[in-house]
Amino acid sequence: MRCQTARKRISDELDGALRPGRKPGVEAHLRTCRACRAYREDLERIQTETKLPEAPAGTWAALERDLDARLSGEVAGRKRVEVPFAARRRWAWAGAAALVLAGISLWYALPRPEPVLTEAWLLYEDILDPIMNAAEASPELAGRLDQEVRASIEEMSPAQDPEVLLLPAADPLFWEGLSDDELRALVSALEKESGLGGPQ
Amino acid sequence: MDERSEAGLVEDARRGGREAFTELVRRHERRVYGVALRLAGNPADADDLAQEVFMTAWRAIGSFRSGSTFYTWLYRIAVNTSLSFLKKKGRERNRASFDENLAVAVPGRAVASAPEGSSALNELKARIDEAIAALPAHFRASFALVVDQGLSHADAARVLGCSENTVSWRMHKARKLLQARIKPFLEEARP
Repeated sequence: MRCQTARKRISDELDGALRPGRKPGVEAHLRTCRACRAYREDLERIQTETKLPEAPAGTWAALERDLDARLSGEVAGRKRVEVPFAARRRWAWAGAAALVLAGISLWYALPRPEPVLTEAWLLYEDILDPIMNAAEASPELAGRLDQEVRASIEEMSPAQDPEVLLLPAADPLFWEGLSDDELRALVSALEKESGLGGPQ
Repeated sequence: MDERSEAGLVEDARRGGREAFTELVRRHERRVYGVALRLAGNPADADDLAQEVFMTAWRAIGSFRSGSTFYTWLYRIAVNTSLSFLKKKGRERNRASFDENLAVAVPGRAVASAPEGSSALNELKARIDEAIAALPAHFRASFALVVDQGLSHADAARVLGCSENTVSWRMHKARKLLQARIKPFLEEARP
């Protein structure tokens, strides 16, 4: 147990508010910690010597007499009694609300990256899905769709060297058509050729 | 009248019964005065405050709900009234902020400034009262209710309108501050 925890529990114990299950832990800590033992002794001493002085003689009689005189001009009412520190509490809530609002405003004001293509795909998923399904059933439609996709990718891609366009790798769908094994073989061949793969 | 239950007296007072209310005042004046004395710091102000507390209670007795305890309701008025009084007088503002990290007074000098013939024990008691008076208001209110009035954390929480855990933490912090401030005098007054 840390000293901080033990001291909090010592305070609870003095107020008779320590849960019984926690007492053995505090006692065990006190057996090994001289500073906390001294702290408890100090608190017990403060508690013993803290006593409000008696009210001066005649206080109660005077209070009752004066009060009686004042009460005679008043009728019992229904004035509202607030909890202590109510104003401070209201300020605390107002501060917390202001912080939350500032946080929300900041969240919306932060710059964000442009939405990625997958979002556009998700947007048109309902339209594209039936077309993809139909293409699976009809080779002719699949061919047309393939052409359209290539055309749209080429349209979006920057213009390339005509010699490069002749290579199979220039085909936008070439890479997608490769299996994992083929890709691994390709990577290993490239590493071997460039010497990046280390000694084989 | 003494034999009457508190609930009956409260009920009568709610209907405007002055006699019942006066009996309630007799039963609770010491408690109210005690809280006012701890928060205001001197008997003259505590006197005035106790009167104000009972005047407020009379003006608000109609709003008291019979399900709650009368003395916790009265304590609540006592704490509120005392705090408003302190605020008005600007004492809280002028009170030097209590910081346990600040250097504590040199015990030798403090003892020397004490009235002649006062024992170390009286000196210690006076220093404890001073240190309690220098606690922040919300710690002092918890201290007054729990230590002076012997309320449980649960009852003090009901009076202050906070959780039991809050009262427990305030008591711990108040004691920590007091111990830091009083330590030199405790050693001085050790039997």
